[in-house]
Amino acid sequence: MLELYLFQILNGLGLGMIYFLIAVGLTIIFGLLNFVNFAHGAFFLLGAYICYTAVSLTGNFWLSLLLAPLLVAALAWVIERLLIQRIYHLPHMFQILVTLGIALIIQEASVMIWGPVGKSVAVPQLLRGVLVIGDFVYPYYRLFLIVFSALVGFGLWLLLERTRFGALVRAGSESTETVSLLGTNIFRLFSMTFALGAGLAGVAGVLFAPLRGAQPFVGPEILGVAFVVVVIGGMGSFSGALVGGLLVGVVQSLMTTIWPQGASLMIYGAMAVVILLRPYGLFGRA
Amino acid sequence: MSEKNPLPFAKTQSRSMLLLVVAVLVGLPLVLPSATLATEILIFAMAALACNLLLGYTGLLSFGQGIFFGAGAYCAALLMIHLQLGLFSALLGAALAGGFLAFLVGALAIRRTGIYFVMLTLAFSQMAYFLTYTLSDWTGGDNGLLNVPRPEIRIGDTVLMSLSDARYFYGFVAVLFLLIFIGARRVIASPFGSTLMAIRENETRAAAIGYDTRHFKILVFMLSGAVTGIAGALYAMLLHFVPLSNIDLAMSENILIMTIVGGTGSLFGSLLGAGSIVLLGEFLSDLWPRWLMLLGVILILVVVFMRGGLWGGFSSLFERIKGRRKPSLPVQEEQP
Repeated sequence: MLELYLFQILNGLGLGMIYFLIAVGLTIIFGLLNFVNFAHGAFFLLGAYICYTAVSLTGNFWLSLLLAPLLVAALAWVIERLLIQRIYHLPHMFQILVTLGIALIIQEASVMIWGPVGKSVAVPQLLRGVLVIGDFVYPYYRLFLIVFSALVGFGLWLLLERTRFGALVRAGSESTETVSLLGTNIFRLFSMTFALGAGLAGVAGVLFAPLRGAQPFVGPEILGVAFVVVVIGGMGSFSGALVGGLLVGVVQSLMTTIWPQGASLMIYGAMAVVILLRPYGLFGRA
Repeated sequence: MSEKNPLPFAKTQSRSMLLLVVAVLVGLPLVLPSATLATEILIFAMAALACNLLLGYTGLLSFGQGIFFGAGAYCAALLMIHLQLGLFSALLGAALAGGFLAFLVGALAIRRTGIYFVMLTLAFSQMAYFLTYTLSDWTGGDNGLLNVPRPEIRIGDTVLMSLSDARYFYGFVAVLFLLIFIGARRVIASPFGSTLMAIRENETRAAAIGYDTRHFKILVFMLSGAVTGIAGALYAMLLHFVPLSNIDLAMSENILIMTIVGGTGSLFGSLLGAGSIVLLGEFLSDLWPRWLMLLGVILILVVVFMRGGLWGGFSSLFERIKGRRKPSLPVQEEQP
């Protein structure tokens, strides 16, 4: 019984790290650009599908782990340049509607390209076995998930805290005007940040693919969860996205055996309660 | 847009608008291949109109419209199936259910503004969906609620009119739509409506003048919820079925998209928006199953280039033609 709980908690941590990767992209975009991106779930979806195509063409999961996020980021960069930059000045309401439109287009395009039935992606050869410690058995891939996401998270933290780019992003989140006045091309920074956020969603999509495959209509569900995580952790907060992601992942994972719809009910309930009682989230700043 | 102008011709304008609506209501079943399709348009126009009261007139972007639509559908269906209630009692029940849920959602959501308001309506929408899914003993869960009746119009035990014929049902829905349309116009023209628009333009100012803006926002939410609930109930009667998708987030999004594409700030725009999107879906879904992609494109185009929606586009075109004929009158510029 104890092993079962441990198993579910570990699963939850893996799921939670994926949620963290999705949410942290959303939260960086919101923090710097003050932009609400409803197309974020669609970028996740694309990551999963590009992973499927790359794996079925080359048979190499690792290549897809590199390629898919880059392609997603490139697409996001183009979309940002062509469309998103025109609507930064509009109220959030219009940003939501435009990105909702983008999400619809990406989703339907994915169905057109890859078909309405989900595609499954095999776990890479290297990680196919299970870890056995005494009575406890755990698949390698899920362990890899936790470790790899943690590494990506750490890399992102380094990028944001230790590089010039990161400093600009953080400074821009405080005051876009000041950064712009100090001579930084703020629009280039915006494009790069938007692409970075989308790329992170792409990484999450690739990591998710061997677990549940690439599903065409998973975008809104993932977007919903990402918003829950971001809201619980606090909009714009890096550590909030991490704690929120892990929390939601573990709760969902523990509840799946008992009452799966209850898990969704709970996390959205928690989201509503957090907005009502602590609108800046558990880790956000007022 | 026309409602916002100072109105020297208010009376005639309002009359010609009503004539236009009546003409559309009469014309729809004649032009379209089936009365069922025409009925569907009116039902969604009702929902879009209710959404417009929130979005267009009060400036509240709600992802909760699907809750009220679904609640109306389930409530009416359950009342008719389990309590054998008649047509009007079922519709009343749906309106009350939609209005009550809108009161709950509204009262909580308006405690926050901007993006947090939107997020709250989104959270409630998802909760309503999963709750409906979970209560499968009542709602049928994933399978939906089957065998929903379409009761006849009756007073006491006398049957006045059976609605089993699609054309009669259309007639009934059209009359209901006209009443709701007139009611909504009255609301907007009333001091209550002006206050809503004052909140849309600048809530702080409206509050500073002395209006309890929260009170107004809750009331308009309830009104919107009740009308959306009625639309949901009619949809259940139309299909004889309540699918789970009636209460999901996509339903909220659809209603929003219809409202925006038609044009916020014009009630006739809602009819236009619902009509064009239902028709687009009807004619394209067989030819091109991925027509939703086109919907995404239209949504983006409307927001970026034509924020007045179809109605805004038509009326500025109309103004321009009128302006050309009578060059002495100043040409009305389209509001951004």
